Amino acid sequence: MEQPHGPSWVLLDYKIPREPTASRAMVWRKLKRLGALLVHDALWVLPATPWTREQFQWLAVEIGELGGEAHVWESRLLLNGQAAALIQQFQASVDEAYQEILKELSQEEPDLLALSRKYQQVRAQDYFHSELGQRVRVRLMSARGGFAS
Amino acid sequence: MKWVTWQQVGVDRMACAWLITTYLDQEAEFLFVPAGQKPLPEGAEPFDIPGVRLSHHRGHCTFYTMLREYDLHDPVLQRIARVVDEADTVQEASLEPAAAGLELICRGLRLTSPNDQVALERGRLIYDALYAQFASEPNQQDLL
Repeated sequence: MEQPHGPSWVLLDYKIPREPTASRAMVWRKLKRLGALLVHDALWVLPATPWTREQFQWLAVEIGELGGEAHVWESRLLLNGQAAALIQQFQASVDEAYQEILKELSQEEPDLLALSRKYQQVRAQDYFHSELGQRVRVRLMSARGGFAS
Repeated sequence: MKWVTWQQVGVDRMACAWLITTYLDQEAEFLFVPAGQKPLPEGAEPFDIPGVRLSHHRGHCTFYTMLREYDLHDPVLQRIARVVDEADTVQEASLEPAAAGLELICRGLRLTSPNDQVALERGRLIYDALYAQFASEPNQQDLL
């Protein structure tokens, strides 16, 4: 066992009544929208920042109002290499979304407006600043028609 | 009267303080306590703190709750509430492009202000401007 090191994470666990299913689905979609990762079907994880803490805090309030129960935790990983592996998982999930945008950009007459919106959404979940994101940004800028610069 | 909230104000609290001083309590005095501190000072109305009356409810921001609690039906205020909802919380639909920018500006305003008190005062300028702009646009009713 090592001393705690590496980044700090906010964790959310919750339970919510099975019905209505719309509430369950809504909470799920909000967690996905935040770019949180579900670990072992048990804990939702985000890197801890004032903003992510606040988002989990308010989501926990909302879950409570929906008749559920939620805990919000803050913690660090103790085992060597696990923080890096978790960061990798976050990267992989945004990189997949960025790859999709790149793929659509390489097709004929891509819908730049729609793809830029998609890029903005992915970037909001890009907590570890993927290099691929920078590439998507450059491609979106250079895909614009008209003057070269 | 006195109003209390957590330190490090942002987009929602700046909107609430603007609402309070403009519509509810011209003499409002704001107190700031560290996040999570209990008990809250007595005789002060708490806002934007989890679990209090004036807070997030049903996925809406505190500004939205305040409009409901104080029966404010001005469509311009309700549109501002939509913007603050999108700026401050995860919303499933995104209808107000101003939201993301407003959130960043308010965050930056806190960074350039020496304390929360000054940040709230400066924030009033932003919300006066937003109100004036929305009020000048036709068909506010249609945008609710």
